[in-house]
Amino acid sequence: MEPVVQIRLLHPGSRFTPGEALRCEYHVQLDDPSQIQALEASVMWFTEGKGEEDLAVQYFERHVPADYVGGDMRGPWQFSTLLPRSPLSYPGVIVKVRWCVRVRVFLVRGRGVAAEVPFQLGNLPPTRALLRPTAEPPRADVEASDELDE
Amino acid sequence: MAKWIRVWEKKRGDRRTGSRLLGDLGEAMFFAVMFLLGVASLGYLIGSQVIEPTPELYSLGVGFWLLVIVLGSFVLIGGGSLIFALLRMGTSAERRSALAQRAANLDLFTKALPRERGYPTVPSDENLTNSPGVVLAFRLPSTQSPAWRLSAVLVFCVVWNVTSVGLLVIAVRLWQSGRPDWVLTVLVVPFVAIGAWATYYLLRQMLIHTGVGPTHVEVSAHPFYPGEEYEFYLTQAGRLRLNFLQMALVCEEVATFQQGTDVREEVCRVFEQVLYRGEDFSIDWGIPFERRGHLIMPPDAMHSFESGHNAVQWNLVVEGKTRAWPHFSRRFPIVVHPGQPPGERL
Repeated sequence: MEPVVQIRLLHPGSRFTPGEALRCEYHVQLDDPSQIQALEASVMWFTEGKGEEDLAVQYFERHVPADYVGGDMRGPWQFSTLLPRSPLSYPGVIVKVRWCVRVRVFLVRGRGVAAEVPFQLGNLPPTRALLRPTAEPPRADVEASDELDE
Repeated sequence: MAKWIRVWEKKRGDRRTGSRLLGDLGEAMFFAVMFLLGVASLGYLIGSQVIEPTPELYSLGVGFWLLVIVLGSFVLIGGGSLIFALLRMGTSAERRSALAQRAANLDLFTKALPRERGYPTVPSDENLTNSPGVVLAFRLPSTQSPAWRLSAVLVFCVVWNVTSVGLLVIAVRLWQSGRPDWVLTVLVVPFVAIGAWATYYLLRQMLIHTGVGPTHVEVSAHPFYPGEEYEFYLTQAGRLRLNFLQMALVCEEVATFQQGTDVREEVCRVFEQVLYRGEDFSIDWGIPFERRGHLIMPPDAMHSFESGHNAVQWNLVVEGKTRAWPHFSRRFPIVVHPGQPPGERL
């Protein structure tokens, strides 16, 4: 049986403000707990779009069976972390910044399994490419240079 | 099954078509072979000299030491890269990032990192606020220094033209002696043409930078915050008859990616607000054009962002077109922080 990872954000909605605490719960559904070699959970941002992918973790934890009596690591697990003030989630055109909670399960045999739950940090609206730039000054300015000193 | 037998792989968006594990294995094997080849060859070379020394090989110019250096580099590059590839194979991207972050957070590296700790991925504005303005708080530096560009063009121009003249002299002498070298003659033509173009380009650059005159931009505060209002002060010196002069607040997304063996950069402008535009006017010597005004950062502006291959950059861009000189554009970067200015935080 393939393991199934379930992640739940303990938060109403998936939008967070910078500096807010993120609490999360996750567990692994698997018949034989001895199959789990390691478990990794991370809160991270990554980029999408035209460029090569960049990523950085805000929170990271790794569990291996040797650290626990009985070695059953199916969970449930909980963690909490304070979100940073940047980078904000950004739905750009060729650069997008996404935040997520990602859990990876490494198995003794076979390939690992990963699951992630996206969330939004901040509240930036979608961006679009500028085809025709706006040419409207925001407000009337002081006209002549000799008025500067007044 | 097809992905196991495919030889060439292609990156599609952020996904690769082939198995990452196979790719990592291939990379590790390549470096392992390189390492083993280096160790075996270097071992044989040194071993043979230990058993049966040949002192005449050790003198410079024979190639013995060059061989030692080349094989030594095989061992170092192959061994180092093999260790790196093996470490990477069993580690997730998140774990590598966490380890790298922990290393970067060590005090040892703190001073080397200009980025502000409170705002990860927001570039530091240290170099933007170290020059006080004449009218407003800060004079912003320009991203493009004309000195570097001019120096590079000058060096290229001198080297190329000296080479061209040398070839031209040889070709002319051969013609005079009645033994013309047609291959050399044909080769000299594009050489001289490129030299002439380089000279023209150098003169044009010099005229732009001396003729157009310096542009200065000052701002009332820095860094910028979304929704806040700032004052700007623009000066343009020179003796110019301008078709237009414009200053705009510009936001651009910059993505760097690899295409084959080339590293490419794509820029997408996502915001532009013209702060000033003047048309058909003159600037006299000694009396620089001055303009003072206000700008309001959009309330929903993305903050400045910088990571390894992606960036969101804010600039004040001054562009102009004169009757005599070509179009010119000068960029003054600014840093936009997320949230509110420190004094207004709750």
